[in-house]
Amino acid sequence: MNVMEAKGLTKTYNGQAGIRNVSLEIEEGMVYGFLGPNGAGKSTFVRTMLGLLNPTSGEGKILGKPIGTPESREKVGYLPELFRYPDWLTGRKLLESHAELCKVPIRERKKRIDEVVDLVGMTGRDKEKIKGYSKGMSQRIGLACALINDPKLIFLDEPTSALDPIGRKDVRDLMLHLKDQGKTIFLNSHLLNEVESVCDHVSIVHKSELIVQGKWRELMMVEAQVEIMSSAKAESTKLDFPDFVRNVERKEAVNGRSKALYQLKREEDIPRLVDFLANHKLPIYEVTPVIPHLEDVFMHWVNEKERRYVDHR
Amino acid sequence: MWTIAKLTFKEIVSKRIFLITMMMTAVFLILYGVAIHYAVKDWKSFGASTVDQMMQQQLFSSQLLSIGLYFSSFIVALLSILSSVSAIASEIDSHQIDTWLMRPITRTQFLFGKVIGLGGLLIAYAAFLFAGIIILHQGIGGEVVSLDFSISQIVSASATYMLQPLVLVTLGVMLSSRMTTLNAGIVLIILYGSAFIGGFVEQIGTIMEKGALVNIGIISSLIFPVDAMYRKMTVFLFDTADNPVSLAQQGMFASASAPNNVMILYTIMYGCIALAVAIILFRKRDV
Ligand SMILES: Nc1ncnc2c1ncn2[C@@H]1O[C@H](COP(=O)(O)OP(=O)(O)OP(=O)(O)O)[C@@H](O)[C@H]1O
Ligand SMILES: [Mg+2]
Repeated sequence: MNVMEAKGLTKTYNGQAGIRNVSLEIEEGMVYGFLGPNGAGKSTFVRTMLGLLNPTSGEGKILGKPIGTPESREKVGYLPELFRYPDWLTGRKLLESHAELCKVPIRERKKRIDEVVDLVGMTGRDKEKIKGYSKGMSQRIGLACALINDPKLIFLDEPTSALDPIGRKDVRDLMLHLKDQGKTIFLNSHLLNEVESVCDHVSIVHKSELIVQGKWRELMMVEAQVEIMSSAKAESTKLDFPDFVRNVERKEAVNGRSKALYQLKREEDIPRLVDFLANHKLPIYEVTPVIPHLEDVFMHWVNEKERRYVDHR
Repeated sequence: MWTIAKLTFKEIVSKRIFLITMMMTAVFLILYGVAIHYAVKDWKSFGASTVDQMMQQQLFSSQLLSIGLYFSSFIVALLSILSSVSAIASEIDSHQIDTWLMRPITRTQFLFGKVIGLGGLLIAYAAFLFAGIIILHQGIGGEVVSLDFSISQIVSASATYMLQPLVLVTLGVMLSSRMTTLNAGIVLIILYGSAFIGGFVEQIGTIMEKGALVNIGIISSLIFPVDAMYRKMTVFLFDTADNPVSLAQQGMFASASAPNNVMILYTIMYGCIALAVAIILFRKRDV
């Protein structure tokens, strides 16, 4: 059974923006990345799935229950992007209230709270008032809150926006930990490297539309790029590159080494390029695959979509 | 639902406005007690012998009590307004509501939780004030000013007294589920103010026997029946069948024209409808 699915789900604000016509299916245990630049409609989609916004059209289901019903939210956790919690409560009291709302049995509550507090690294600070928390601490307690009911599906809307580099790593580890436990995670993000290390599936949204979805590797390697370090002298020899090399961008030489960025058609072209360079007696010191900028990936798929649209006519 | 009610209750108690209100309440009760103490001392030195004086004494005493109850119902109303208009609107503004509403509860349960929490707190507060004033009045006043109340008089008067914050809360929550805190506050204060003034106009109209004024008063209490409930409460409290002169009908804070019992029913209906509208509005709303 799909943990979550959407069919033609649309939410517009007075006919504008929002998110349009999203259809997707998420299986149990997937870590699903929902990628898009600011204002693409990521948060709108999640908030619609959670019943906070009423869909304009289309339908959605969580664990087989239609969205908007309390049943659909029974085994769900959510960390909002604008996380604000009642600041007059202590972190612990907040978690207790949520446990109560989720009907966590009284006997298990204390243990469960201790568990999640530990999981997000807030042990020892949970008895303080939220008023005194820093932004990062609030986000951590928010994460704890999202996990309190041992959810099957967890929505994280930019979960590291307020965290320092260590915090980001903690969250990445936490997501991997949850993945190991078989949880399904829906991650909203505009940071490629955040999604990269944990997500197996992604979709790309752009200007309120879902442009493409699929396996992370397939989508990101739209155009393989490698940076190759060679010796500065060798570089000066003009080579006649084969077809699969789309573009070569030379960078300045430092300490007798020079670097060049090669744009290739496909990932498989990387070894071919290395072969080619080696055959031409070019000394190779370093080969680094370069992850494209999110913007480039977006533009690639946006263009692709438009091309396909034209083709279909 | 009960979790939300509990949280709402605790939230208000934890707020500074509540602390201030409690302190002001204490000051008010002390002042009231002192005032009664001195009023009675002066009165005692006269002594009452004739029937006429007895009557005057009772009137004076009921006036003292009316003033206390009137002012206290005003404080209760103010606290009701301030705490209910922000109940939903401010949580939507701050997005605090998101994490509550994504839990397996319905919007209706959330709303009921809010109303129960607020209503419970305000009823407790109103009961405390009501009891405080009656006890101060009867206790400090002693024999001189004490009026004979039957249990049933006290019960029906205090129940009517508590209806007032309840109606305010349901209406406040209704406004809050659609408007911003500020707008809801303005609308509710204007409504309350016009009921207040409408009440006075009606009393004056009755005394002066001006039908138009009375009608204005009646319309204003139909639009918002809080003031009518205060009047009704004084009638319950002061009127006894065997008393030839109605004490409730005397003075500024009393009720020259008494609302009838249908008004109570109307008020209860009013609250229920406000609640129903609140639920309808809130269920459809994007947060
Ligand atoms: N309440 C609203 N009223 C009107 N328009 C809105 C509202 N909320 C969002 N929008 C619009 O809908 C679009 C999608 O917004 P959304 O918040 O879903 O984007 P997002 O992908 O989450 O962006 P970000 O990365 O900045 O969080 C934006 O163009 C935004 O302007
Ligand atoms: Mg967002």
